[in-house]
Amino acid sequence: MIRLENLVKRFGPFTALKTMDLTIEDGEFVALLGPSGCGKSTTMNMIAGMETPSEGRILFGDRDMAGVPMGRRGVGFVFQNYAIFTHMTVRENLSYGLRATRRPASEVAQRTAAMADLLQLGPMLDRPAKGLSVNILQRVAIGRSAVMEPAIFLLDEPLSNVDAAFRAVMRTELKQLQRSFRQTMVYVTHDQLEAMTMADRIAVMDHGVLQHVGTPLQIYNDPANLFVARFIGSPGMNLLTGQVVEDATGVALDLGGLGRSPVLAPAQARAARAAKGGVVFGFRPEQAALVAEGQGMAMPVSLVERIGARTILHLGVGAGAVKVVFENDAGFEVGKMLHFAPHPGAVRLFDAQTGTALGGH
Amino acid sequence: MTPRSETAKLGFRLTLPAQLLVLFISVFPLLMQAYISLTDWSPLSGQPWTQAWAFWNNFANYVDVLSDDRLWSALGRTALVMAVCVPVEFLLGLGLATLFMDDFPGKRVLYSILIMPMMVVPAVAGYMFFMLFQSGGPVNDILSMFAGGPVTVAWLSDPTLALVAVMVADIWQWTPLMFLILLAGLVGVPEDQIKAATLLGANAWQRFTSIVLPRMKVIIGIALAIRVIECFKIFDTLFIMTGGGPGVATETISVYIYKIATQDLIWGYVAAIALSILIVLSVVCVWALKRMARVPG
Repeated sequence: MIRLENLVKRFGPFTALKTMDLTIEDGEFVALLGPSGCGKSTTMNMIAGMETPSEGRILFGDRDMAGVPMGRRGVGFVFQNYAIFTHMTVRENLSYGLRATRRPASEVAQRTAAMADLLQLGPMLDRPAKGLSVNILQRVAIGRSAVMEPAIFLLDEPLSNVDAAFRAVMRTELKQLQRSFRQTMVYVTHDQLEAMTMADRIAVMDHGVLQHVGTPLQIYNDPANLFVARFIGSPGMNLLTGQVVEDATGVALDLGGLGRSPVLAPAQARAARAAKGGVVFGFRPEQAALVAEGQGMAMPVSLVERIGARTILHLGVGAGAVKVVFENDAGFEVGKMLHFAPHPGAVRLFDAQTGTALGGH
Repeated sequence: MTPRSETAKLGFRLTLPAQLLVLFISVFPLLMQAYISLTDWSPLSGQPWTQAWAFWNNFANYVDVLSDDRLWSALGRTALVMAVCVPVEFLLGLGLATLFMDDFPGKRVLYSILIMPMMVVPAVAGYMFFMLFQSGGPVNDILSMFAGGPVTVAWLSDPTLALVAVMVADIWQWTPLMFLILLAGLVGVPEDQIKAATLLGANAWQRFTSIVLPRMKVIIGIALAIRVIECFKIFDTLFIMTGGGPGVATETISVYIYKIATQDLIWGYVAAIALSILIVLSVVCVWALKRMARVPG
């Protein structure tokens, strides 16, 4: 178990990590997800011991890691550029840690061979690591750490250097590897697809602050705040600022030029009324349906994006623009009005001032 | 004609003037030297050097080279200076460069101070060490402080100590170059690889031998080659400090050649010595460079 308690990291006047509390269970695959500069790599470097926290504690189980040098933490680390020892062969790379820690030669040979088998590196064991393709280098990098059987495995954007097709293959492969190693994995990425497909839980970060921790579906369905709502999903959640209005049918939001939102569910209505600083109305682009004229919201189609499997409609322009996603064969025309409504239960409300989600859906 | 050879041709034409100039200033003197080396010609002979064929001596100069004891002992002395100075400079330079990989207060100032000796004109350095090593000079003063009594060693008059003093001056002046080159090499070692090795449990010494050294092979080769070649030609600082003396105690190959060229004026013989050394040194260097090229980078 890894526990991060009130972790803070400052580089001179710059605070890379404002505060971080996170518990990672044994055998869990946790992705640290966020845009560049959000502090995810800093967090991981501190877990590995490459950086010293400015404040707070890192515990492995009950053991405080303060002062434990990185070589003694029993952590496997896969670098973004793999950091392969290019002046050695694949075998020398794989066996490096075992040799450095002076294991008997027979054990080194046996464990190296076993790791090479697992990663299908057998045929290239004696090839120089220099000049091998990226996908092989990546397996060498993983194998080189995995052969030490670390309890904790840290991966720093290992797929950012490979092309899209191979990335899809590696996502599956990595997940299977993690299952076979049964290790705790912390995976840093800015690619939400990688995080969503592989992680048991995702920790979304931004500007040095942990925004939301949860399973991929929790984060997708119920983002904790506006940042997560925007960041997760492709395209991100539609977010429209509105004023609470109340009439005989119930509580709804006046969305300005877009007209009026559907009537809110009772719990949401209560939360919306309680929010002092205004309410942001949100729904996923995938969770909307066409409705008859006059029933839902109406907006002109400004762009039709056909991405193969689906069609993304851009509605309106400027701050009130909305995207909705439909099947690929739907016929739409730019300039025509589109009448649509979010699915019941798909509506999420956020406090316009604090950005945090308003509960009760 | 392929575009590639077209470019090559254009390149050749563009560099032709420069190549001719280089040919003139390097090949012409070399040929002249080879020509004179086969004769007993000297500027005192009253003939221009073009007439040197009149003094043709049937390779006698080259026969003399082989039996010239003073030449061989000068060579041996040069080799000794090289064998002491270059490794010491290398180890000091490497140590300092390793220290400079970490941050510490005053690093920039110290860095400037460290590379300053390299920028001192060798003649000035020569006079500096000449004065330092006087029997009433600062070196003896400092030694007196440690010895507890007055030390009045006549450094530059003692055959062995004079050689030591000359080596100290060379090490002082050229360790900074080693330091600079090796620091550049160290900076070029990928930090991630060192971190990766650390995370895999390698200690500092293992990291140094398994990651840093192999990655610096080429640059170490270059640094050593530069210093070996330069050290072989050691002259200016040494000549000002001791003039090759006392006697011939610090007479290196350059000093010897200088002496017979300016004092004995037997230029045919000088040319023969210089050419022999050039050939031997070239063969050694080409061999060393080929070996270095085989090392996988």
